[in-house]
Amino acid sequence: MSDADHQELPVFNAVSGSARQLYLLLRCISFADKAQVQITEEGLRFSVEESSIMEGLAFLDKSLFTSYQYNAPALRPSTPNSQDSAASETPEPPTFQISLPSLLETLQIFGLTDQNSRPPWAREAQSMAFSSNILGMNNLCRLSYISHGSPLSIIITESSITTTCALTTYEPAFTADIPFERQSLAVKIIMRASWLHDAITELASTAPSRLTLVARMQRGKPYFALSASGPLGSASVEFNNAASTIYPPTAATNATTPDTAPSLLLETFQLADPSARVTNSYKFALIQKAARAMAVATKVSVRGDAQGVLSLQFMIEVEAGKVSFVDFRFVPFVAEEGDYEEEGESEGEEEVADREDESGEDEE
Amino acid sequence: MRFKASIQNISTFTKLTASLNSLGPLAWVKLSENQACFTIIPEQGTQVWAYLRTQDTIFESYTIQSAADNIINLEVPLTSLTRALKSALQATSASIRLTKKDNIPLLALTIVTTSSGTSRGAFGTTTGTSNPDDAFGDEHEAGTGFDSAFGRDRETIVTQEVPVRVLSPETVSGLHEPRCREPDVHIMLPPLIQLKSISDRFTKLALVGAKSVGGSTVTAAVSSQRTRLEMAANMHGCLRLSIQSDAMNISSVWTGLSNPELDPSQVLGGEEGIREHPSTRMKELGSADGRSEEGWATVRIDGKDWGKVMSVGRLGGKVIACFCHEHALILYVYLPNDNGMDESVLTYYVSSYSA
Repeated sequence: MSDADHQELPVFNAVSGSARQLYLLLRCISFADKAQVQITEEGLRFSVEESSIMEGLAFLDKSLFTSYQYNAPALRPSTPNSQDSAASETPEPPTFQISLPSLLETLQIFGLTDQNSRPPWAREAQSMAFSSNILGMNNLCRLSYISHGSPLSIIITESSITTTCALTTYEPAFTADIPFERQSLAVKIIMRASWLHDAITELASTAPSRLTLVARMQRGKPYFALSASGPLGSASVEFNNAASTIYPPTAATNATTPDTAPSLLLETFQLADPSARVTNSYKFALIQKAARAMAVATKVSVRGDAQGVLSLQFMIEVEAGKVSFVDFRFVPFVAEEGDYEEEGESEGEEEVADREDESGEDEE
Repeated sequence: MRFKASIQNISTFTKLTASLNSLGPLAWVKLSENQACFTIIPEQGTQVWAYLRTQDTIFESYTIQSAADNIINLEVPLTSLTRALKSALQATSASIRLTKKDNIPLLALTIVTTSSGTSRGAFGTTTGTSNPDDAFGDEHEAGTGFDSAFGRDRETIVTQEVPVRVLSPETVSGLHEPRCREPDVHIMLPPLIQLKSISDRFTKLALVGAKSVGGSTVTAAVSSQRTRLEMAANMHGCLRLSIQSDAMNISSVWTGLSNPELDPSQVLGGEEGIREHPSTRMKELGSADGRSEEGWATVRIDGKDWGKVMSVGRLGGKVIACFCHEHALILYVYLPNDNGMDESVLTYYVSSYSA
């Protein structure tokens, strides 16, 4: 495959020393069958969406790969779906869809063989010191994408076994991300992801249909509550900071992830308007789809913009000192006095969520 | 009609019957003076013909007598036999014999367990856990010591009976081992556990791919749809396993496997036969790195069925696969034994599906 490919350079060619890392990150967004992949100079961007109201995004930075080559494709001879970009000179980065479950299964083929075939105490351990397992050589995985329309190929080499996988690429189905205005954040909270995970797991026990986030200042202290309501009742989890450490509610002073003060439940708590109370509701089932990311991430940044779009950004430590980010965005239920429109039902919403009892119907 | 043998290697025999059981519930067992042949012929899927040498590996002091040339044909329910054998895994000795009870023929499995070790263990732990008082505990320990000192050689004998059906020679006369043309490629397979883990994942992948295309409406179609694994090998030590679905196309290639040399005494026509043998021609084609498209003998098999065949991997013997291009795959599974000669062999016949 490598020597006699094509005359022109492949669009993308990368080698990863650890398919496990790629697997761990991509597994976080494995809630749909198809993932949209965008190849850029900086890395691979995998996005998955559900009914246009939820989006998951995993970015595989080029630093995750031991080698990463991207050759911007030559301008395509005007394909029908690229009128908008035809005017601009720079070619759009290659975008396509692939089957995410297939990709995940493929990445898992790793280690399958060496691990099972011979236990470490097996008799004929001829050269344990140089076994590919210990040298970390059985973990090489090569990804390549030759040109528009060709499959995304993954080549996995383990001792004497080579696995080649060609994933069919499909035309991209959605183009725009859910708009999220970073410039006009209503709220920003950074906390440990496992706490969010605990809270969501706890609330899930009542099979709720919607989740309401409330953030406000309460007697000078940050107050953050997640309440879930559904046909079986409602429950809520509240987060209070013990000490009154109020971060100046200025506009986004970029998150500097303070490693200090582990006693603080909410590491960062910022409100655009300290006197305001931010309340938004989301479909619980969708938030739950981010549970896997919550479970593996170290920290989460919970942000809501002025329109109520929720962004959950998870920081995942793929190996010591190296972090990657997985993002989720959610469109809220329409608020009562909302001045914008989204799909989904437009049912009224009370101020305090735990009193409310109507069940949000499924959108799908 | 008499048959009696002691089972020398209980764990191998158990693994064997368990792997045979995964392919079908009933085995035709043909017992003769020097071999016991276990045959599974399912309605659909892979046939197994397992020849166990009576002087070898599994049995010991094997005696047989019958009016029909000292041959006995039985139909044995493998699930019951496996279950009976499993209870014998801890036994010090076990023997099997053909008997009759209320006019029903039975295979009686007599399991002898020396009880001293186990009974003391059971006794000791119950007193230890149920009695928090140390003094009492000690007293009981002493008691067990006393008990075991005198009861060391006490034996427990359990007899498991597996009802069987005696088959007349006419019934089985129509059953023959499948005949197949000379294989194009023969190759030693990598450890079956390794092969199984990959082929199982491939089968799963194909199902994932099928599901993602149609959603819930075609689940019925998915479950009935069979996964076709494609297996190929060449005469240069390469084995290729691949599967295709709408979403993907995946293949694994093993290199550096060995293609055993043919023994002229075993091939029809001797040296001349080997020169004419299809595998000799296949040697001219293909390459050792597995990249060439030439020289592969390919078969298409059902993923699920293959998974069952692979369960024989627990026996840990070496396996030679013979590929008849687009026709059939024959696996020879050799049971590990100490003397290199006259090994017991299990033969699996897997027929290839057309494309």
